[in-house]
Parts: sequence; C-alpha cells; structure tokens
Amino acid sequence: MMKAFRISYDLKNTYRVNGIIYSIQQVPVIKRLFTDDLYASRGLKIFANILSAAWEIVSAFLGKYLYLLLLVALPAGFYKGADVGGAAMHILLFLTVIGTFMNTYMFNPTNDKYYAMILMRMDAREYTLSNYLYSSLKVAAGFLPFTIYFGRAWGLNTGLCMLLPFFITGAKMTAAWLLLLRYEKKGVCMNENLPPKFAWPLTGILLVTAYGFPYAGIMVPMGAFTAMAALGAVSGLYCLYKMMGFGKYREMYQLILADKRNAVEMSDIVKKTTEEQSRKMISQDTAITSRKKGFEYFNELFIRRHKKALWRPARRTACIAAVFIAVLLAAMQMDADVKEAVNRLLLIFLPYFVFIMYAINRGTSFTQILFMNCDHSMLTFAFYKKPEFILKLFRIRLREIIKVNLLPAAVIGTGLALMLYVSGGTDNPLNYVILFISILVLSIFFSVHYLTCYYLLQPYNVNTEMKSATYKIIMSGTYIVCFLFMKLRMDTFVFGIVATAFCVLYSSIASLLVYRFASRTFRLRN
Amino acid sequence: MEFIIENLTKSFGAKKVLKDISFSFDSGKIYGLLGRNGAGKTTLFNCVNKDIKSDSGSFFLDDGKKEEIKPEDIGYVLSTPTVPAFLTGREFIKFFIEINEKSINDLRPIDEYFDMMNIEREDRDRLLKDYSHGMKNKMQMLVNIIARPPVLLLDEPLTSLDVVVAEEMKELLRGLKSDRIIIFSTHIMELALDLCDEIVILNHGELEVVDKYNLDNSEFKDKIIRALKEEEDDDESIPHIV
Repeated sequence: MMKAFRISYDLKNTYRVNGIIYSIQQVPVIKRLFTDDLYASRGLKIFANILSAAWEIVSAFLGKYLYLLLLVALPAGFYKGADVGGAAMHILLFLTVIGTFMNTYMFNPTNDKYYAMILMRMDAREYTLSNYLYSSLKVAAGFLPFTIYFGRAWGLNTGLCMLLPFFITGAKMTAAWLLLLRYEKKGVCMNENLPPKFAWPLTGILLVTAYGFPYAGIMVPMGAFTAMAALGAVSGLYCLYKMMGFGKYREMYQLILADKRNAVEMSDIVKKTTEEQSRKMISQDTAITSRKKGFEYFNELFIRRHKKALWRPARRTACIAAVFIAVLLAAMQMDADVKEAVNRLLLIFLPYFVFIMYAINRGTSFTQILFMNCDHSMLTFAFYKKPEFILKLFRIRLREIIKVNLLPAAVIGTGLALMLYVSGGTDNPLNYVILFISILVLSIFFSVHYLTCYYLLQPYNVNTEMKSATYKIIMSGTYIVCFLFMKLRMDTFVFGIVATAFCVLYSSIASLLVYRFASRTFRLRN
Repeated sequence: MEFIIENLTKSFGAKKVLKDISFSFDSGKIYGLLGRNGAGKTTLFNCVNKDIKSDSGSFFLDDGKKEEIKPEDIGYVLSTPTVPAFLTGREFIKFFIEINEKSINDLRPIDEYFDMMNIEREDRDRLLKDYSHGMKNKMQMLVNIIARPPVLLLDEPLTSLDVVVAEEMKELLRGLKSDRIIIFSTHIMELALDLCDEIVILNHGELEVVDKYNLDNSEFKDKIIRALKEEEDDDESIPHIV
C-alpha cells in the first residue's frame, strides 16, 4: 500500500510541478525567455518541486487556521455575553456535519484519481485507501496546532482541544463509510461535485443551526458535545477498519469519474460550460424577426435574440439607481442635514462616479457575448473579415453598446442634477449640465473603451480561450485606474470639464485606431 | 487558373512547420492534402487564409494575369463547423447574400440552395445552434457554393459526418471542382483516393506530389505510405527505435 501511495503521490506531484512550470510560461515577458524545453529543465523542476512541497504544507495548515478563525472563532466572538467556547463548539459541530458530505475527499472526482485509477489502472483499493489515509492524517495534523491554539483561548481543556481533530476526521470517516454502504446496498453513488438534491437544503438548515441558534441562546451543551466528539473519533476508527475491507472501489470510481472521459482538463470543462451558457442566452422566440437589410439585419437579430442578456441588466441597474435616487430625494425632504451633506458631496464627488460608471458598464459582457455567440463563428468566414465590413459592423455595434449603457447613465445623470437642485442648488447653473453630461460621457467612454479593446486586441482563439495577456493587463489596469479615482476629490465643475474633454479625445483616437488597425487585429487568435 | 504559393515559411518557436514551400495548384482538380497528425496541414490552411501570419511567403491567383490573392478569393471549411448560433439557417443565408450581392453571380432563391444541400424544409427556419454537426457543415459549404470563391480549402470536413451526408458532400465537391481549386486535407487515405484527382503530401514542412501514373489504387497507396515513411527515415531528428 505504501508503494501505491508513493506512485500516486509522484504522479500528482509531477503534474503539479508541470502546472507550476506552465504558469511560469504564461507570464508575459518571462514567457519569451523560455521554450518548451522548460519541462526537461532539472533546476526548474527542483524549484517547482520545492514550491509544490511548500504548497502541500501551507495548504494543510493555513487552510485549517483560516477555517477556524473565519468560520468559527470570529462568529463565536459575536455572541456577546454568551459562552464563547460553547458557541465555538456548537458552530464547529454543525460545520463538521456539513463537511462530512460536502468535503469528503473520497467522493470528489478529481483528475489525479482519474489518471491513477482509470488511465494508469492502479489498484483502486490500494490507491484509495492509502490516499484517503494520507488526506485524513493531513486534516488531523493541520487542525491539531490550531484547535489547541484557539481552544485555549476559548477556555477549553487541553484534552478536548486534542480530541477535536480526531473528531473531525472521525466524523468524515463515519459519513464516508455510510455512503460506501449506501453504494453497496442500493448502488447509489455519491459525487461531491454533484451532491444529491437534499444536500443543499440540509446544508442551509445546518448553517442556520450553527450560526442562528447561538444567537437565540440555544447551544449544544458542552458535555453533550464532548461525548459526541469522543463518539465521532471512535466511530471513525471503526469505519476506517470497515473501509479497509470494502471491495467495490474500482466500480464505484468508474461511475464517479465517468464524466472525466470527455473532459479531464479544467479548461475543457470551463469551455463547455461557457459555450452552453452562451447558447442559453439566445432567445428561442421564433417571432423575432427584422425588416432591415445586410449588417443592420444581422445586428438587429443579434440584439433582439440577446435582449435578456444585454438589455435586462441595464434596465435593472437603471431601476436600482432610480430607487436609490428617490430614497435620497425623500431623505432630503425629511432631514436638512442630509440635504446639506448631499449638496456638498455632489460638488466634489464626481470623480467617485468614474468607478461607479465603470462598475455598471456592460461593455465586458457585451463583447463577451459578441464573441461567444457571433464572432467566434463568423470570424472563420473570409467575407466577414473584409476591412469595410469590419468597420461597418464596428460602427453599428458601437451605437448599440452606447445605447445599452446610456439607459442607466441617463437615469443617474438626471438623478444627480435633480438631487443637486433639491439639495439647495448651486451658484453656477452650469454645474447641472456638467453633472448630467459628465455621467453620459463617462458611460460613452467605457462603451468605446471596451469595444475598441475588443476590436484591437480580440483576445480569444477558436476554442474560446482568452489568449491575450495584453488584454487582461488593460482590463485590470482599467479597474485600478477607476478604483484610484474614488480617492480623488475635485471640484465637480473642473473635473467634469476635464473628464469630458478627455473622454471625447480618447473616443476619437480609439475610433481612429480601430479604423486604421482593426482589419488586421480583429481575427481569431491562435 | 492556378493558385500559387511562393516561398511560404512558418515556424512556431524553434520548430519549422512549413519550410519554404513553393507550389502551384491547377483549377478543375481536387487536391488531397495528406499528412500525418501534426504535419502542419491546418497551419498551411491558416497561413493561406491569413488567419495566422506566415514568416514569409506570398499567394497568387494566375488566370492569365498573376494577382495577389484576396480574402474573398478563399473559402475555408473547418473540420469543426462554426456558424452563428443566433441566426436561423435561412437568416444566415439571407444575410450572406445581402452583403455579398455584388459579387454573387447567378443568384437563386434561398430555398433552391437548401434543396441543393438536402436541408429539410422544417430545418430551414430553426436556429443554427440546434443544427446537427452535419447540417452545420452543410451550411458552411453552402455559403462557399453561393460565393463561388476560386480557392476552396477543406480541413478534414468529412471526418465526423455520417456516411449518408459524407457521400452527399463528396458528390457536391465533385460537382464544384470545375473552374476552381479545391484543396482537401485529410489523413484518411481511402477518402483521399476516392475523391481527389491529385495527392499532395505535407511532411516535415514540405509539399510533394505523389504521382499515380500507371499504378492501381493499392500500389498507389503503398507508394504514398512509402513516401511518408521514407521522409521520416531520412529525418535525423527522429530517433530510431532499435
């Protein structure tokens, strides 16, 4: 069994190491320094091995620390006046029960299991048991220092602190054995990624019990908890013994891992899911038609058949903004302080709206849908790539994307001007116009920005994989710049003028770049 | 008419996939482009269709006058058919005809085209996303039939079709070959022998015609395999298993 474990660990480590090397290869600039020989490089393999070993240790301990801190210690600390230790144990008990069926290792259809047991035909029992034992020991060892650390702080006795890790692993083992038994008796196979229907509601109930009951002062008594913990640990040992004798691992994993035959790699699964989701966005309504011709016909059908994905979120944002504005208007009527604060903020807070307009812009999803459901296929046709057609469609799409984004922008712009008026107005009447225009211009700017980036950098390949690091960097850069604007305080009038001028200039340059280069750049990546 | 490739070179990193290829294809013929897996058939097509940038090389059409090839001169049918999922079959063809109306000769009613491709009436107004693989393939072929580009590149288009559709497509291709150059890539030898007038091998980055002169099919097949193998044996970069 040790041999089986060593082989499977080596196998897992090999592709983890290759994964690390692959990631290094994806980094822009650095990737130019390396070729595929990288996978044969001894030095780099050693480096990646060290990283892999470090990850094994960090994941064993750090994860457990964060789990106890964020899900147990912090919430337990919120119950003022309650016995923190008791609350923590109450929470831990129910979270552990959730973990027994939502985080099992045994029933998780991972790639390493598929490679080892199905592709490489390793002995399923030896493979499963040795790895299961290792993963259980990792859980217990990972928890031990932190149950002592937190347990002491909660005032638990050391014996209980040391029992907790064995309770957690024991509970998992008990559940695993029951699920194996269920398979043996009924042929029903648990799959952690596709839990049975009752799993989610049950998780909900257990979460409410874990976090809600202590709020109402109801907690599992410490004595009862200790007894359950001891029972869990003992029962775990018994179940482990039973698992050793279970003889149907191979056939069970054949079922659990069946889906892997079609898609082992995560990217394949993501690709399949994305494609399916994109297809679902297309309306099946056969009444949708168009009287237009040529590209306008093509575009109108696209927009109408994707109305739900393109227009609905914009409408929703517009409604939320309208409600928000209405609430503020009402608050201003009731409270003079609010009025004053709103008035002051409106005259210095416009830079903040760069981030808001960024956040509500539908540009990225618009271009994504364009690619997935339209350009992905159309770019394989030569006629579609004629320069004059690319530009014609760019103009039409720019108009559409601007229209979609202008709806919430118009609501926000009008709302801001209205709020400025209601909150006491301004000495400079131009401020009303500036507020309104700036918001519209910002909206247009983001629309132009996203569509231009899409046309100049078209980042996807025929397999719908994102292939452009430049595109990713620009998208992240956009976020960072917009985020930084939140820190800026500037007179609305000045900022409005500068921002409008910049947006107009940017949009003109961007459109010129598209006219100049899109015929070369707007194609499928390799 | 001739389709001419001159000095085409393409490398990926250190690997030279296409090595200074110069070749001319005559109209009225179906060329079977044979090569082993990974030989570079799709790369060759992608370079011709300008989907990827070649390191060097030019492509011309010579119809009495030698001119550089334009994107619209090429029709490219991929092994995995891609058609716009949000349109119906009829809408796609309507759109295609409208934007290409100046360059389409002998335009016929849309239903006539569908009849030609054996696409059933009830399927014509369904969204393309619900079409089967074979039907999507037919749609890709159909736009190329309507547009009549002088060069048609087919990248293993029959590999995953059922026997009936594959037979229909073969007939269609035979009917299309006059006045145009069809280059049909495949690694299924029988298909190439059955359909193609000329067999061209792409191996180790070079194109070579395998001459059928005086040979029956079986001898010709042996000759092709020898050609592929010999080139492999000549290649020093591939280690020999002792």
